[in-house]
Amino acid sequence: MRNLNSIFAAYMIGWGVFFLFFASVVKRTSDLRSEIERLKKNLSKDK
Amino acid sequence: MIRRILFAAVAVGLVACAAYAAFYVAPEERTMGAIQRIFYLHASSAWAGETTFFFCFVANLLYIWRRKPQYDWLGVTCAEVGVAFITVVLLTGPIWAKPVWGIWWTWDARLTSTFVLWILYICYLLLRTLLDEPERRALLSALFGVFAFIDVPIVFGAIRWWRTQHPAPVIMGGEGSGLDPVMRKVFFFNVLAMHILALFLIAERYLLEKSKHDAELLRREAEAR
Amino acid sequence: MALLSNAAVLLGKEVRTEFRSRELLSTTVVFVLIVVVVFSFTFDPTTTESRRFGPGLLWMAFLFAASLMLQPCFLREQVNDTLGALRLAVEDPFAVFLAKIAANTVFLLFTELVMLPVFAALFNVSFGSQLPGVLLTFLLGSLGISIVGTALAAISAQARMRELLLPLLLLPLLTPILVVSTEVTIRLMQPEPYLEWKGIGLMAAFDAVFLTVLWLFGEYLLEE
Repeated sequence: MRNLNSIFAAYMIGWGVFFLFFASVVKRTSDLRSEIERLKKNLSKDK
Repeated sequence: MIRRILFAAVAVGLVACAAYAAFYVAPEERTMGAIQRIFYLHASSAWAGETTFFFCFVANLLYIWRRKPQYDWLGVTCAEVGVAFITVVLLTGPIWAKPVWGIWWTWDARLTSTFVLWILYICYLLLRTLLDEPERRALLSALFGVFAFIDVPIVFGAIRWWRTQHPAPVIMGGEGSGLDPVMRKVFFFNVLAMHILALFLIAERYLLEKSKHDAELLRREAEAR
Repeated sequence: MALLSNAAVLLGKEVRTEFRSRELLSTTVVFVLIVVVVFSFTFDPTTTESRRFGPGLLWMAFLFAASLMLQPCFLREQVNDTLGALRLAVEDPFAVFLAKIAANTVFLLFTELVMLPVFAALFNVSFGSQLPGVLLTFLLGSLGISIVGTALAAISAQARMRELLLPLLLLPLLTPILVVSTEVTIRLMQPEPYLEWKGIGLMAAFDAVFLTVLWLFGEYLLEE
């Protein structure tokens, strides 16, 4: 196949962008989850 | 949780099948050869990105009208996902263009308008980071979103007229222009797969926005104590 | 009509306020001049080159000047909360926008008309026979810049980093105006000049569309 490198690069970069976006969403979600747990624990402690 | 994993599996599976079809089912293009197969990823991402921005526009309008925070969450979600898709379009395009036409970029109507579209929604996201109060942020970014979306067709029209004044190489033909029937089927399958992927990413990102809101409520409750 | 008469009264206020100090107009004119001079160092200013790059450079200078000139538009109203008073004074909040858009258009036009002979002299272009066309282009372009700029000034006045935010939001949205007005101006300044009516139509359409959008949504920009 001619230009196989270019096709490979395009698909890897394309999927890479989607994967990086998804990874950033997952990371932000898990950080928030831990913070929500922490806040809930503090609030129930105060009760 | 099971639903999310199932949704993820369906989305990834469809994208994988679409890529397989792009490589093994679609016939080889006569003039460009194998590299034309980038088109299936490139153009389908463009369609999915534009659909996502349309959802963003609708969410913005609904927020301005109804003021329910869920519409604001949907707006920022669709803007971010849309930017991701258009980023893919802007990166895969030049990779296709360089070997075939010898240039990374040309200022033709479609490329330039896509670039401006991308910049407009980056501005939308930037604006949100500079507004602190949640309701102000939601309303003002929704209003900017409306302006941005309405501007896009005008940008395209103006730049297309501009390019007719200065003829330049027309690259990347038209997506549907003279597509072989098998190619057309593979293309639309890719479009479907990209849309499902977009819906999955929107769902995940929306959950994040909802969690942000829940965290903010808890923070306020903690401060009140 | 109450809307137009309210807008007219408010327009009078805007213009009187500005002419009291004239600081906005004078700084804008000097800024455009500086931009034109500095930009002309970036290309060889022979006549053919000037004709090719000149109009674009002129409109870029106007755009940059506008994005600075429009800042005080709503920032001024935050001191003493005069915006609240304006909102109460009129029935239709669109009158406030109409007045500010008209005032900004007038200020921009003033700047452009002052710059025009300077530009013509610096770049050896003549447009005498095309003056009506040039004026129409400047009017429609300035109107477009003012309409979108005033709306965005209302948004950026409520955000952080507003000095940088307004140009950031304004320039991409004004792409059609920049592209079309440059083309029309190039045609007006070439050896066989003519007025490109399609371009005029595109600019008028841009102005009409965004004025309508502002009419539909403007009141939300002024909300507390």
